[in-house]
Amino acid sequence: MLSDKALNEIHLIKSKYQDSRSCLLPSLYVVQKENGWISPAAMETVGELLSVPDATVKGVATFYSMFRREAMGRHLIQLCTNVACMIMGAERLVDILRDKYGLQPNGTSADGRFSLVIMECIGACDAAPAMLVDADLHGNINENTIMATLDKYA
Amino acid sequence: MITVTINGKQIKIEKAVTVLDAARIAGIKIPTLCHHDLLESFGGCRLCLVEVEKLPRLQTACTMYITDGMVVQTETERVVEARKAMLEFLLINHALDCPYCDKAGECDLQDLVMKYGPSSGRFAEGKRKHPESYDDPIIVRNMERCISCTRCVRMCDKVQGASAISMVNRTSKTFVEPFSGGRYNCEYCGNCLTVCPVGAIMSRLHKHTYRPWYIEKNVDTICSFCGVGCTVTAQVRGNSIIRVIPEIGKGVNKGLLCNRGRFGYDYINSGGRLTSPLIRKNGVLEAATWSEAIAYVAGRLQDVKDKSGGSAIAGIASARCTNEDNYVFQKFMRAAIGSNSIDSAAAFAFAPAQKYFESIFGQGVTANPISGIAKADGVFVIGGDPTSVNPVLGLQIRAAAQKKVPVITVGYTPGLRNFSTHSILPAPFAETSLLAAIVSELSRIKSPDVIKSAFGEIIRSIQPVSSEDAQNACGIPADEIRGCADALAGMTNPAIIIGRDIILRSDGHTNLLLLAALMQLINGRIYLASEQPNERGIIDMGCVPDSLPGGRPIAVDSFRKRYEEFIGSPIPSSQGLGLMEIIAAAHSGQVKALYVMGENIAFNVPDHSYVKEALEALDFLVLQDSFMTETARMADVVLPTLSWAEKEGSFTNLEGRMQHLQKVVDGQGIDDWSALAEISTLLGVEMHYKGVKDVMAEIARVSPLHKGITYEDMEGGQCMWPYKGEPLRHDLVLPGIDMPDVKSMLRKPGKDMVYIGVDKPLFHSGSLSRNSQALSSISSKPFARIGGGLAGRLSLADGDYVTISTSAGSLDMPVMLFADMPENLVLVPNNFEGAGVYKILAWKMNENIKTPAFDSIEASLKKIERITAEGSA
Repeated sequence: MLSDKALNEIHLIKSKYQDSRSCLLPSLYVVQKENGWISPAAMETVGELLSVPDATVKGVATFYSMFRREAMGRHLIQLCTNVACMIMGAERLVDILRDKYGLQPNGTSADGRFSLVIMECIGACDAAPAMLVDADLHGNINENTIMATLDKYA
Repeated sequence: MITVTINGKQIKIEKAVTVLDAARIAGIKIPTLCHHDLLESFGGCRLCLVEVEKLPRLQTACTMYITDGMVVQTETERVVEARKAMLEFLLINHALDCPYCDKAGECDLQDLVMKYGPSSGRFAEGKRKHPESYDDPIIVRNMERCISCTRCVRMCDKVQGASAISMVNRTSKTFVEPFSGGRYNCEYCGNCLTVCPVGAIMSRLHKHTYRPWYIEKNVDTICSFCGVGCTVTAQVRGNSIIRVIPEIGKGVNKGLLCNRGRFGYDYINSGGRLTSPLIRKNGVLEAATWSEAIAYVAGRLQDVKDKSGGSAIAGIASARCTNEDNYVFQKFMRAAIGSNSIDSAAAFAFAPAQKYFESIFGQGVTANPISGIAKADGVFVIGGDPTSVNPVLGLQIRAAAQKKVPVITVGYTPGLRNFSTHSILPAPFAETSLLAAIVSELSRIKSPDVIKSAFGEIIRSIQPVSSEDAQNACGIPADEIRGCADALAGMTNPAIIIGRDIILRSDGHTNLLLLAALMQLINGRIYLASEQPNERGIIDMGCVPDSLPGGRPIAVDSFRKRYEEFIGSPIPSSQGLGLMEIIAAAHSGQVKALYVMGENIAFNVPDHSYVKEALEALDFLVLQDSFMTETARMADVVLPTLSWAEKEGSFTNLEGRMQHLQKVVDGQGIDDWSALAEISTLLGVEMHYKGVKDVMAEIARVSPLHKGITYEDMEGGQCMWPYKGEPLRHDLVLPGIDMPDVKSMLRKPGKDMVYIGVDKPLFHSGSLSRNSQALSSISSKPFARIGGGLAGRLSLADGDYVTISTSAGSLDMPVMLFADMPENLVLVPNNFEGAGVYKILAWKMNENIKTPAFDSIEASLKKIERITAEGSA
């Protein structure tokens, strides 16, 4: 389910906190980084590792909207289409992603490489249009540069 | 003293309580939704908002503590307006389906909306849709009605400690769900049903058949499943129980229940109930009239008595029967039959353990209030999982654990896995060496003053066992043993909870001695796990071979004479046979007739084929029972008797509290005591009781312990040991305590051995619960528990069928894997017909305490390859 690397990371997290519940959020980050999303089986694994009841893990994992609970592509594109980005041409970028990768909003490309989520402002209006790919912010993107940016994510 | 003024009423309160509690003291009701008396304050629903002078904003009464001079208004226009607004928010999503919601009529939200609220909201977005979940056999979730008060989740997390449900998602999409999203994987205590203020979590057992106004009467009675003796309220319509609920704050359980107590009551309506007396004619059990059956039993018993004497007749009583039943049973056996061979299934563990501790420390040493466990500053658990044998007692241990006191568990106790600070899992049946090492360490740590008592002699004479030696014997690292001893040494008022597993051993008496030493060294209070509701009562009533009502030894002439005077007939002076001796004597032909009251001995006594031979060898077997059990099928006469809800009487729970069992519904059959009285009268010892009160009045005269006791004394649960009577004066005698040779206890487990043990599952108890449809819907078939290591060795997966064989026979059943089980052990329950572990337990007798010893019984497991639908193996 989880690689040895991920398991080691979780064990390291456990050594840093006194209370096992405190390890829950950082451990869920590790799972999401590893798998792209948090599956029910992964929740059970985390519950077992931390001695936190499964139901509690589920409660936490479903509370935070940035934890994904459906299978995702390897990389998550979070593209803003709020006012500033829309004026600067974000909707054209949505079209490009659909044409080039077959990516629909809230969908995943057929090769499992990218998933796309449309965001309502990611706080980067100064660099509009902007998107997050995984945890990286890319600003001032346009029709010409978006493909090159995404090429870096295999 | 804190003075507060609430709605113009000035009250003085000693300590700082919440405004809500202060208002209650003043007799003022503040509405609440998320608050519940069994739970900590939460402050989520905002219904208890009140106006506090000098504070600009409204405050939640459930979380605000009073201060001196505080002035509170609970029903101002501003407060009422705010509550109305809160209710309007709650109605955004709450389905207004009151006309067909079972909760209507006792729904907190409905009541509040009637008082304060708008009948519908102004939000035009529409309500969220969430189909009702019927995935579970017992619990129906309707999340359209959920108001996210989190009472159920807090109950499950903080009180029950099962943590089976949680709030998932956020904002208006929040609802309650078990991890699976469908069927619960939980303890089915149903305490979430108690606290749900709306119709979001409901019981399937009375779905669409229950309405508060259908209830014709509420009867407060005592649960009949285990020795805790929880107070329950049975709600009745016509002559049937619609549901069983707890009452908040009432009884030993204070409003909590377990799965058996809450859902198991339906066994009384089971199709297997007996309705008419049965007499075996030409080998077949045929219906007979009551007078015919009673006369037949009396005639046959008289024959045996004339031919072979009273001592050829033995009696087995039941701790599922009331004190009154059991009192009349022993009187019948002693006076009318002339035999002291009386015993019950309590003789397996509860009775010998109680007797052992009382012989050292005096009568009543194990009578300790259950509520003391949660207040203890340490808990020591050994001999089985109290959370499955006595679930509500188990909650007290969890409550202690929530306070972060040390909780030491010895042996496999899955229900305390997340609560124990020291979880010690010795090799199977090697606890004795561990206990000896703990006692040795403690004797070293504790100052000599502690062990100055007379019993200190014994403690000092126990040969010290080093933790290293114990490590060799039980596989627990010496440091861990010392850590455990240190933790025990730090306790000042600990609770020691002792289960049957440690007693049913060839060295069971040594374990009891070491536990007595432990108790003395750490000033502990002993609690004996009790599987049946009246195990203590049955001993008090004298259904034991060696003592009379009130625990008076039969061998003492003055006690026996006094008893004979009271009942007006002579009784035999010699001690009778115990349970296992009775079976053996029946097998050898010494006992020719057996009178059994309410016990399924053919199933609940180990080594079924031996027991069957013994019962077949009898000339005459009479059984009083409510069900057609394995024993009933072998009996010569079966007398149908009333079950739990159909009779009145009293139970004495494991802490020595006498409680009044009330008649809830009418049933077919007669009281156990009344059948016995009729037969006794025919045998020449007249017994004419007009009712159960008459029997109790006689007990109050005959038993020195129960002097003058009445049912009125039992109201309110205050009738604690030693009642109004005289406990047995006690001189420290240590009969039969032999110094254990500790070196011989050291026992290395065989590496490839598999031992068999008895599993006590949470969802079933004995062979009674199999008649409950509700409990069977939760757990319908037996399974054997095995650990990961054993499963790996035998390549077994969850659900694989195995044949489990011992020298006494074999059983087929699926296995379930539990990672934290001891390596060399398979645990099998004794609940289901044809699949009881007692079938294959070839026990040895522990002569010291007269119990069967179940240790080191080797078993072998063999996987059954089954042909699947595709035809491959």
